[in-house]
Amino acid sequence: MAMTSKTSANLSARLKQSARALRDTRAGARLDLERRVRDLEAEVQECRQLNLRLAELTDLVTELLVPATQRDEAKLAELLERYQKGL
Amino acid sequence: MSPEERPDGAADRSAGEGSQRAVSAPVVVEVSDAGIKLTGRDGAMADLVLDVFFDDRRIWSFWPVRDTTREGNARLVAWPRAIVKFLSGDTRLRLTVHGSEKTWFDQEVHLTVGEGAADSRIAVVDTDGHPLALDKSMRRVRTFETRTAEQVAPLMDAIAEALAALKTAGVEGFLAYGTLLGAVRQGALIGHDSDADLGYVSEHEHPVDVMRESFELQRRLTDMGYPTMRYSGAAFKVDVREADGSVRGLDVFGGFMREGYLYLMGEIRTPFKREWVFPLGQATLEGREFPVPADTDRFLVATYGPHWRTPDPAFKFETPNSTHRRLNGWFRGIRVHRGTWDGSYAAHPRPASLEPSDFVQWIATREPELGDFVDVGCGYGVDARWMAERGVASIGLDHAPKAFEYLAAREEDLPLEFAAMNLLELRSLLSVSASVARRPGNPRVVAGRHLLDALDARGRQNFYRGADMMLREGGRLYLEFLAQRGEDDYTVGKHIRPLAPAKVRAELEAAGATVSKQRRLLASPNDTTRSQSVICRMVATWR
Repeated sequence: MAMTSKTSANLSARLKQSARALRDTRAGARLDLERRVRDLEAEVQECRQLNLRLAELTDLVTELLVPATQRDEAKLAELLERYQKGL
Repeated sequence: MSPEERPDGAADRSAGEGSQRAVSAPVVVEVSDAGIKLTGRDGAMADLVLDVFFDDRRIWSFWPVRDTTREGNARLVAWPRAIVKFLSGDTRLRLTVHGSEKTWFDQEVHLTVGEGAADSRIAVVDTDGHPLALDKSMRRVRTFETRTAEQVAPLMDAIAEALAALKTAGVEGFLAYGTLLGAVRQGALIGHDSDADLGYVSEHEHPVDVMRESFELQRRLTDMGYPTMRYSGAAFKVDVREADGSVRGLDVFGGFMREGYLYLMGEIRTPFKREWVFPLGQATLEGREFPVPADTDRFLVATYGPHWRTPDPAFKFETPNSTHRRLNGWFRGIRVHRGTWDGSYAAHPRPASLEPSDFVQWIATREPELGDFVDVGCGYGVDARWMAERGVASIGLDHAPKAFEYLAAREEDLPLEFAAMNLLELRSLLSVSASVARRPGNPRVVAGRHLLDALDARGRQNFYRGADMMLREGGRLYLEFLAQRGEDDYTVGKHIRPLAPAKVRAELEAAGATVSKQRRLLASPNDTTRSQSVICRMVATWR
């Protein structure tokens, strides 16, 4: 039998209410805390990973931007080659 | 962390106490093609480190409880995989407790599990006949115990030169890890060690600044003529050639102080004071004076624990997860799966054939006016070479330079180049892509055959960014990847995983590309006996 949209909405609301009630128990709170800590750890790690990207981009810009803006073609080609050699 | 970033050396654990209690040391009950079977009380054996000698040369060391598996009442230490291929023939097998004269087993044995002739002496050597041993990560290396003073002199020169270069670049380097341990404990390199380790503690406190400084230091050493290889954002290796032509690695580990903690790549995070490092002291190594941290005892305790004075060639770092998480998050991620690929190309340095792939031939039929061919993840470079043979200027790019070393060294009169490009290292990706974008030749094709299916999501995103740069003046991207794994052997040795074409298409579109062609086909249509792997070809452009 097809579920009506009203029944479905009711069921969804009841499920959310039950989940909230479960979280309020001591065991539920602990489980919820574990999930939040896990999520937080993942997010902290994500933030840490930005350090390497930032360092790489800053290095690249610092080393190559000046000759690029000076429009010194030969120097830029040489610097690009030297830069890659030093990686 | 990448295994190659792990510092070498040995530490001080309780092996000394173990040798004192050696009354119940293990008894060898059987030596077979499977390994060495021992009996003894686990409790008594737990603190022992045993050295294994073949014909009076130490090959490796192990802990009888930690490094063995239980088989009935006995424990089996299997022959390490790295030496199995040598184990055909006879040898005098000797087991001793490390650091003691006591021999626990000494007999002639015959093994047949290896690849060589069964009627010869077992020789664990490299292709040039140099003796090899296993380091604590079970890798075959040329350890210092087989080297003469004359042979290690160039390494001492290189240590001095690298330390001078570090000083010029603004940091005060010192001996670290196993090299520091050897200097402080015995004034010499540790026999079972194979690399030299240097460290420094930066003036900077922020990981970004520490990495930028490490990049600059690597450039300085490259300018001085040393081949270098980066492990992570804060550690790299310098290769030094010794008197007999062999190459020895010198690792430079970056460190810094932050909120009362010392961090040193690749294993240390410990509460520390700056005055325990500076001003640097001096220690003698192989008859020369080198800088060391001010308080070597505290430094070695931080590295190897409180028992650092007792040798342990089978030492394994027990670095806390919290330290790994920090160091991984801040500094690592540029060498994912690199060991697998380097190992593959070291085992098979030449292509099996110079025949082009169906894929590159398909590109050639679709692009009769092709002006420039860029093969990303080119491997041996066979397809790029084939395009060059047709007169099309070609460049093969791969993160593992070992891959294209063979074809690059042939110096054929072809419009063919090779270059290293690491899709996981933004500095490499962006600078090489910019160089490619400057190449003459139009239209350009950027090709990736079994590239996307060997990369993780971050690698694929970076590749799309690079392709976009390389095709800024027009041209097309051609891709071939595994869409479905069959029961055939198509994927063997390719290190690839299937990718859904719809997913790749969505990623390309999100990266600003338009997919003009998408086609699925059987990977090996002549094999009708088994279910087939399916590959997908895709063509995309950026506007």
